[in-house]
Amino acid sequence: MLPRPNPWPLRPFQLGGWLIQRPLRKSPPTALKSNSASTGDANVATLLSWFVPGAGHFYLGKPKTALIAFLVVEGLFAIGLALSKGMTYEFLDPELQGRFAMLLTPEVGNLGGLLYQMRGYGFGQVTTVPHAWPAHIMLGSLLTALSGILNACVMMQANLDARISGEDRQRGRSPALLAGFAWLLPGLGHFLQGRRARAFLVFFLLVGLFALGTGLAAQSNLSRERHFYYWAGQFLIGLPAIATEFISGRPPVTGEITHVDAGLTIACIAGLLNVMAMLDVFRYGEDVLLGEAPEKRTSPGAEAAA
Amino acid sequence: MELGIHILLFTLVAGGIVLMGAFYAEGGNATALASVPRRLFMFLASCALLAGIMLLCEHTFASVS
Repeated sequence: MLPRPNPWPLRPFQLGGWLIQRPLRKSPPTALKSNSASTGDANVATLLSWFVPGAGHFYLGKPKTALIAFLVVEGLFAIGLALSKGMTYEFLDPELQGRFAMLLTPEVGNLGGLLYQMRGYGFGQVTTVPHAWPAHIMLGSLLTALSGILNACVMMQANLDARISGEDRQRGRSPALLAGFAWLLPGLGHFLQGRRARAFLVFFLLVGLFALGTGLAAQSNLSRERHFYYWAGQFLIGLPAIATEFISGRPPVTGEITHVDAGLTIACIAGLLNVMAMLDVFRYGEDVLLGEAPEKRTSPGAEAAA
Repeated sequence: MELGIHILLFTLVAGGIVLMGAFYAEGGNATALASVPRRLFMFLASCALLAGIMLLCEHTFASVS
Protein backbone atom coordinates (compact mmCIF):
# COMPACT_ATOMS: atom_id res chain seq x y z
CA MET A 1 0.00 0.00 0.00
CA LEU A 2 1.41 3.37 -1.00
CA PRO A 3 1.93 5.86 1.83
CA ARG A 4 -0.44 8.78 1.86
CA PRO A 5 1.02 12.20 1.02
CA ASN A 6 1.70 14.22 4.13
CA PRO A 7 -0.72 17.19 4.26
CA TRP A 8 1.31 18.82 7.04
CA PRO A 9 2.82 21.35 7.37
CA LEU A 10 0.38 23.57 5.53
CA ARG A 11 1.50 26.69 3.76
CA PRO A 12 0.36 30.10 4.98
CA PHE A 13 -2.87 31.27 3.31
CA GLN A 14 -4.12 27.71 2.92
CA LEU A 15 -6.14 27.82 6.08
CA GLY A 16 -6.69 31.35 7.21
CA GLY A 17 -3.61 33.19 6.06
CA TRP A 18 -1.15 34.94 8.35
CA LEU A 19 -3.59 35.71 11.10
CA ILE A 20 -4.93 32.25 11.74
CA GLN A 21 -2.34 29.73 10.71
CA ARG A 22 -2.69 26.10 11.46
CA PRO A 23 0.20 24.90 13.55
CA LEU A 24 2.78 22.50 12.31
CA ARG A 25 2.39 18.89 13.23
CA LYS A 26 5.10 16.36 13.25
CA SER A 27 2.85 13.79 11.62
CA PRO A 28 -0.48 13.90 9.82
CA PRO A 29 -3.45 13.21 12.08
CA THR A 30 -4.62 10.30 9.94
CA ALA A 31 -1.34 8.39 10.13
CA LEU A 32 -1.37 7.37 13.75
CA LYS A 33 1.22 5.24 15.36
CA SER A 34 -1.05 2.44 16.39
CA ASN A 35 -4.31 2.26 14.55
CA SER A 36 -4.38 -1.49 14.34
CA ALA A 37 -7.68 -1.46 16.21
CA SER A 38 -9.27 0.71 13.51
CA THR A 39 -12.07 -1.07 11.71
CA GLY A 40 -13.03 1.55 9.17
CA ASP A 41 -12.30 4.78 7.42
CA ALA A 42 -12.51 7.89 9.62
CA ASN A 43 -14.08 10.04 6.91
CA VAL A 44 -16.78 7.48 6.16
CA ALA A 45 -17.56 7.14 9.87
CA THR A 46 -17.84 10.92 10.21
CA LEU A 47 -20.10 11.31 7.18
CA LEU A 48 -22.35 8.45 8.26
CA SER A 49 -22.74 10.03 11.70
CA TRP A 50 -23.62 13.33 10.08
CA PHE A 51 -26.58 11.79 8.26
CA VAL A 52 -27.69 9.38 10.97
CA PRO A 53 -26.37 9.87 14.52
CA GLY A 54 -24.59 6.70 15.61
CA ALA A 55 -24.30 5.26 12.09
CA GLY A 56 -20.56 5.96 12.11
CA HIS A 57 -20.09 3.99 15.30
CA PHE A 58 -22.24 1.18 13.93
CA TYR A 59 -19.98 1.12 10.87
CA LEU A 60 -16.97 0.92 13.20
CA GLY A 61 -18.45 -2.09 14.99
CA LYS A 62 -19.65 -0.27 18.11
CA PRO A 63 -23.39 -0.95 18.15
CA LYS A 64 -23.95 0.04 21.79
CA THR A 65 -22.36 3.47 21.35
CA ALA A 66 -24.25 3.81 18.09
CA LEU A 67 -27.59 3.08 19.74
CA ILE A 68 -26.96 5.49 22.62
CA ALA A 69 -25.84 8.26 20.24
CA PHE A 70 -28.89 7.72 18.03
CA LEU A 71 -31.37 7.71 20.91
CA VAL A 72 -29.94 10.79 22.64
CA VAL A 73 -29.46 12.95 19.54
CA GLU A 74 -32.66 11.98 17.76
CA GLY A 75 -34.57 11.95 21.05
CA LEU A 76 -33.63 15.60 21.63
CA PHE A 77 -34.53 16.38 18.05
CA ALA A 78 -37.89 14.59 18.24
CA ILE A 79 -38.87 16.36 21.48
CA GLY A 80 -37.83 19.68 19.97
CA LEU A 81 -39.79 18.97 16.82
CA ALA A 82 -42.89 18.04 18.83
CA LEU A 83 -42.69 21.15 21.01
CA SER A 84 -42.18 23.49 18.08
CA LYS A 85 -44.58 21.56 15.81
CA GLY A 86 -41.91 21.89 13.13
CA MET A 87 -42.51 25.63 12.84
CA THR A 88 -39.02 26.86 13.80
CA TYR A 89 -37.96 27.58 10.24
CA GLU A 90 -40.99 29.81 9.77
CA PHE A 91 -39.02 32.35 11.83
CA LEU A 92 -36.93 33.00 8.75
CA ASP A 93 -37.97 35.99 6.67
CA PRO A 94 -39.74 34.91 3.44
CA GLU A 95 -37.09 36.49 1.22
CA LEU A 96 -34.39 34.39 2.92
CA GLN A 97 -36.23 31.07 2.65
CA GLY A 98 -34.28 29.06 0.13
CA ARG A 99 -32.95 25.58 -0.51
CA PHE A 100 -29.70 26.19 1.36
CA ALA A 101 -31.00 28.67 3.94
CA MET A 102 -30.68 26.20 6.78
CA LEU A 103 -27.00 25.46 6.26
CA LEU A 104 -26.08 28.25 8.68
CA THR A 105 -28.13 26.89 11.56
CA PRO A 106 -26.94 24.67 14.43
CA GLU A 107 -29.36 21.97 13.22
CA VAL A 108 -27.05 21.31 10.27
CA GLY A 109 -24.92 19.24 12.67
CA ASN A 110 -27.75 16.69 12.59
CA LEU A 111 -28.21 16.61 8.84
CA GLY A 112 -30.64 13.70 8.81
CA GLY A 113 -32.93 15.51 11.26
CA LEU A 114 -32.65 18.76 9.34
CA LEU A 115 -33.58 17.08 6.05
CA TYR A 116 -36.47 15.29 7.76
CA GLN A 117 -37.82 18.56 9.14
CA MET A 118 -37.37 20.36 5.83
CA ARG A 119 -39.18 17.58 3.99
CA GLY A 120 -42.01 17.27 6.48
CA TYR A 121 -42.55 20.86 7.53
CA GLY A 122 -40.35 23.12 5.42
CA PHE A 123 -40.96 26.82 5.97
CA GLY A 124 -44.64 26.28 6.70
CA GLN A 125 -47.70 26.76 4.57
CA VAL A 126 -48.36 30.09 2.96
CA THR A 127 -51.61 31.35 4.46
CA THR A 128 -53.24 34.72 4.63
CA VAL A 129 -54.49 34.05 8.14
CA PRO A 130 -51.91 34.79 10.85
CA HIS A 131 -51.36 31.92 13.24
CA ALA A 132 -49.90 31.81 16.72
CA TRP A 133 -46.70 29.98 17.56
CA PRO A 134 -46.96 26.87 19.74
CA ALA A 135 -46.56 27.65 23.45
CA HIS A 136 -43.12 26.02 23.75
CA ILE A 137 -41.71 26.78 20.33
CA MET A 138 -38.61 28.48 21.75
CA LEU A 139 -37.75 25.49 23.91
CA GLY A 140 -38.42 23.16 20.98
CA SER A 141 -36.25 25.25 18.71
CA LEU A 142 -33.48 25.17 21.31
CA LEU A 143 -33.64 21.37 21.54
CA THR A 144 -33.41 20.83 17.78
CA ALA A 145 -30.41 23.19 17.72
CA LEU A 146 -28.89 21.31 20.65
CA SER A 147 -29.22 18.02 18.77
CA GLY A 148 -27.07 19.52 16.00
CA ILE A 149 -24.28 20.49 18.39
CA LEU A 150 -24.45 17.14 20.15
CA ASN A 151 -24.24 15.27 16.88
CA ALA A 152 -21.18 17.32 15.91
CA CYS A 153 -19.51 15.87 19.02
CA VAL A 154 -20.68 12.38 18.03
CA MET A 155 -19.12 12.92 14.60
CA MET A 156 -15.83 13.98 16.18
CA GLN A 157 -15.88 10.91 18.39
CA ALA A 158 -16.59 8.61 15.44
CA ASN A 159 -13.67 10.15 13.57
CA LEU A 160 -11.38 9.62 16.55
CA ASP A 161 -12.61 6.08 17.19
CA ALA A 162 -11.70 5.16 13.64
CA ARG A 163 -8.17 6.55 14.03
CA ILE A 164 -7.14 5.89 17.61
CA SER A 165 -6.59 2.52 19.17
CA GLY A 166 -7.72 1.53 22.65
CA GLU A 167 -4.15 1.82 23.88
CA ASP A 168 -3.89 5.47 22.77
CA ARG A 169 -7.29 6.23 24.25
CA GLN A 170 -6.00 5.49 27.75
CA ARG A 171 -3.79 8.60 27.67
CA GLY A 172 -6.53 11.14 28.35
CA ARG A 173 -10.12 12.26 28.17
CA SER A 174 -11.97 12.12 24.87
CA PRO A 175 -11.19 15.28 22.86
CA ALA A 176 -14.73 15.19 21.45
CA LEU A 177 -16.20 15.27 24.96
CA LEU A 178 -13.87 18.10 25.94
CA ALA A 179 -14.87 20.04 22.81
CA GLY A 180 -18.48 19.56 23.90
CA PHE A 181 -17.64 21.03 27.31
CA ALA A 182 -15.83 23.89 25.55
CA TRP A 183 -19.08 24.61 23.70
CA LEU A 184 -21.16 24.41 26.87
CA LEU A 185 -19.07 27.01 28.68
CA PRO A 186 -16.21 28.89 27.01
CA GLY A 187 -12.96 27.91 28.69
CA LEU A 188 -14.36 24.80 30.39
CA GLY A 189 -12.63 22.47 27.93
CA HIS A 190 -9.29 24.20 28.54
CA PHE A 191 -9.88 24.08 32.29
CA LEU A 192 -10.50 20.33 32.23
CA GLN A 193 -7.28 19.90 30.26
CA GLY A 194 -5.41 21.69 33.04
CA ARG A 195 -4.80 24.84 30.98
CA ARG A 196 -6.28 27.16 33.55
CA ALA A 197 -4.72 30.48 32.51
CA ARG A 198 -5.99 30.02 28.97
CA ALA A 199 -9.36 28.84 30.28
CA PHE A 200 -9.92 32.04 32.26
CA LEU A 201 -8.73 34.23 29.39
CA VAL A 202 -11.07 32.49 26.95
CA PHE A 203 -13.98 32.64 29.39
CA PHE A 204 -13.66 36.33 30.22
CA LEU A 205 -12.95 37.31 26.63
CA LEU A 206 -15.86 35.46 25.04
CA VAL A 207 -18.43 35.94 27.78
CA GLY A 208 -17.37 39.60 27.97
CA LEU A 209 -17.89 40.03 24.23
CA PHE A 210 -21.26 38.30 24.43
CA ALA A 211 -22.34 40.50 27.36
CA LEU A 212 -21.19 43.63 25.52
CA GLY A 213 -23.11 42.61 22.41
CA THR A 214 -26.23 41.76 24.38
CA GLY A 215 -26.05 45.09 26.20
CA LEU A 216 -25.61 47.08 23.00
CA ALA A 217 -28.47 45.22 21.33
CA ALA A 218 -30.65 45.76 24.44
CA GLN A 219 -31.23 41.97 24.58
CA SER A 220 -32.98 42.02 21.21
CA ASN A 221 -30.37 39.49 20.04
CA LEU A 222 -31.77 36.81 22.34
CA SER A 223 -34.79 35.95 20.19
CA ARG A 224 -34.39 33.41 17.42
CA GLU A 225 -37.63 34.65 15.92
CA ARG A 226 -36.29 38.20 15.62
CA HIS A 227 -32.71 37.51 14.53
CA PHE A 228 -32.58 34.01 13.11
CA TYR A 229 -28.97 33.88 11.88
CA TYR A 230 -27.39 36.06 14.60
CA TRP A 231 -29.03 33.74 17.11
CA ALA A 232 -27.44 30.77 15.35
CA GLY A 233 -23.99 32.36 15.69
CA GLN A 234 -24.30 33.28 19.33
CA PHE A 235 -25.77 29.86 20.17
CA LEU A 236 -22.25 28.53 19.65
CA ILE A 237 -21.20 30.14 22.94
CA GLY A 238 -23.40 27.62 24.74
CA LEU A 239 -24.77 28.11 28.23
CA PRO A 240 -24.21 31.89 28.53
CA ALA A 241 -26.47 32.47 25.52
CA ILE A 242 -29.06 29.89 26.53
CA ALA A 243 -29.23 31.03 30.16
CA THR A 244 -29.41 34.72 29.23
CA GLU A 245 -32.19 34.00 26.76
CA PHE A 246 -34.34 32.13 29.22
CA ILE A 247 -33.64 34.40 32.20
CA SER A 248 -34.38 37.55 30.21
CA GLY A 249 -37.49 36.06 28.68
CA ARG A 250 -36.66 37.72 25.35
CA PRO A 251 -37.96 41.21 26.16
CA PRO A 252 -39.90 43.02 23.44
CA VAL A 253 -38.33 45.88 21.54
CA THR A 254 -40.16 49.04 22.53
CA GLY A 255 -38.04 51.71 20.91
CA GLU A 256 -35.07 52.46 18.74
CA ILE A 257 -31.85 50.75 19.79
CA THR A 258 -28.93 52.97 18.83
CA HIS A 259 -26.18 50.37 18.44
CA VAL A 260 -28.24 47.30 17.66
CA ASP A 261 -26.16 46.34 14.60
CA ALA A 262 -22.91 46.48 16.54
CA GLY A 263 -24.49 44.52 19.40
CA LEU A 264 -25.81 41.76 17.14
CA THR A 265 -22.48 41.44 15.37
CA ILE A 266 -20.39 41.35 18.56
CA ALA A 267 -22.61 38.75 20.26
CA CYS A 268 -22.52 36.61 17.11
CA ILE A 269 -18.72 36.92 16.85
CA ALA A 270 -18.39 35.79 20.47
CA GLY A 271 -20.17 32.56 19.53
CA LEU A 272 -18.12 32.04 16.38
CA LEU A 273 -14.87 32.59 18.29
CA ASN A 274 -15.91 29.85 20.68
CA VAL A 275 -15.66 27.44 17.74
CA MET A 276 -11.95 28.30 17.59
CA ALA A 277 -11.70 27.59 21.30
CA MET A 278 -13.40 24.22 20.72
CA LEU A 279 -10.97 23.38 17.92
CA ASP A 280 -8.05 24.33 20.14
CA VAL A 281 -9.35 22.04 22.88
CA PHE A 282 -9.96 19.22 20.43
CA ARG A 283 -6.51 19.38 18.88
CA TYR A 284 -4.77 19.64 22.24
CA GLY A 285 -6.67 16.55 23.41
CA GLU A 286 -5.84 14.75 20.19
CA ASP A 287 -2.15 15.56 20.60
CA VAL A 288 -2.25 14.21 24.16
CA LEU A 289 -3.81 10.97 22.92
CA LEU A 290 -1.14 10.67 20.26
CA GLY A 291 1.61 11.19 22.81
CA GLU A 292 2.79 14.39 21.12
CA ALA A 293 3.75 17.57 22.99
CA PRO A 294 0.88 19.99 22.36
CA GLU A 295 2.64 22.94 24.03
CA LYS A 296 5.48 22.66 21.53
CA ARG A 297 3.38 23.18 18.44
CA THR A 298 3.78 26.54 16.76
CA SER A 299 2.67 28.27 13.61
CA PRO A 300 4.88 28.46 10.50
CA GLY A 301 5.08 32.25 10.87
CA ALA A 302 6.32 32.05 14.43
CA GLU A 303 8.92 29.45 13.45
CA ALA A 304 10.14 31.63 10.62
CA ALA A 305 10.35 34.66 12.93
CA ALA A 306 12.33 32.63 15.44
CA MET B 1 -18.40 60.89 18.42
CA GLU B 2 -20.30 58.11 16.67
CA LEU B 3 -17.27 57.24 14.52
CA GLY B 4 -15.12 57.09 17.66
CA ILE B 5 -17.53 54.62 19.32
CA HIS B 6 -17.53 52.43 16.22
CA ILE B 7 -13.73 52.47 16.02
CA LEU B 8 -13.52 51.59 19.71
CA LEU B 9 -15.97 48.69 19.33
CA PHE B 10 -14.16 47.46 16.23
CA THR B 11 -10.82 47.55 18.03
CA LEU B 12 -12.29 45.57 20.93
CA VAL B 13 -13.66 42.89 18.64
CA ALA B 14 -10.43 42.86 16.61
CA GLY B 15 -8.49 42.27 19.83
CA GLY B 16 -10.74 39.32 20.65
CA ILE B 17 -10.45 37.81 17.18
CA VAL B 18 -6.67 38.18 17.15
CA LEU B 19 -6.26 36.75 20.65
CA MET B 20 -8.36 33.68 19.82
CA GLY B 21 -6.45 33.30 16.55
CA ALA B 22 -3.18 33.39 18.47
CA PHE B 23 -4.44 30.79 20.95
CA TYR B 24 -5.58 28.58 18.11
CA ALA B 25 -2.24 28.80 16.32
CA GLU B 26 0.18 28.63 19.23
CA GLY B 27 0.39 25.85 21.78
CA GLY B 28 2.00 27.80 24.60
CA ASN B 29 0.38 30.82 26.28
CA ALA B 30 3.58 32.87 26.32
CA THR B 31 4.21 32.30 22.60
CA ALA B 32 0.57 33.10 21.80
CA LEU B 33 0.53 36.33 23.78
CA ALA B 34 3.90 37.38 22.37
CA SER B 35 2.54 37.03 18.83
CA VAL B 36 -0.54 39.18 19.52
CA PRO B 37 0.97 42.63 18.69
CA ARG B 38 2.22 41.45 15.30
CA ARG B 39 -1.09 39.73 14.52
CA LEU B 40 -3.12 42.72 15.71
CA PHE B 41 -1.11 45.08 13.54
CA MET B 42 -1.58 42.80 10.52
CA PHE B 43 -5.30 42.48 11.22
CA LEU B 44 -5.90 46.20 11.63
CA ALA B 45 -3.72 47.08 8.64
CA SER B 46 -5.56 44.54 6.46
CA CYS B 47 -8.95 45.84 7.59
CA ALA B 48 -7.86 49.45 6.95
CA LEU B 49 -6.70 48.47 3.46
CA LEU B 50 -10.01 46.71 2.77
CA ALA B 51 -11.98 49.71 4.08
CA GLY B 52 -9.92 51.99 1.85
CA ILE B 53 -10.62 49.85 -1.23
CA MET B 54 -14.33 49.75 -0.42
CA LEU B 55 -14.50 53.52 0.01
CA LEU B 56 -12.65 53.98 -3.25
CA CYS B 57 -15.06 51.63 -5.04
CA GLU B 58 -18.02 53.41 -3.48
CA HIS B 59 -16.68 56.80 -4.56
CA THR B 60 -15.85 55.58 -8.06
CA PHE B 61 -18.71 53.25 -8.96
CA ALA B 62 -21.58 53.96 -6.58
CA SER B 63 -21.52 57.71 -6.17
CA VAL B 64 -24.89 59.31 -6.90
CA SER B 65 -23.82 62.94 -6.66
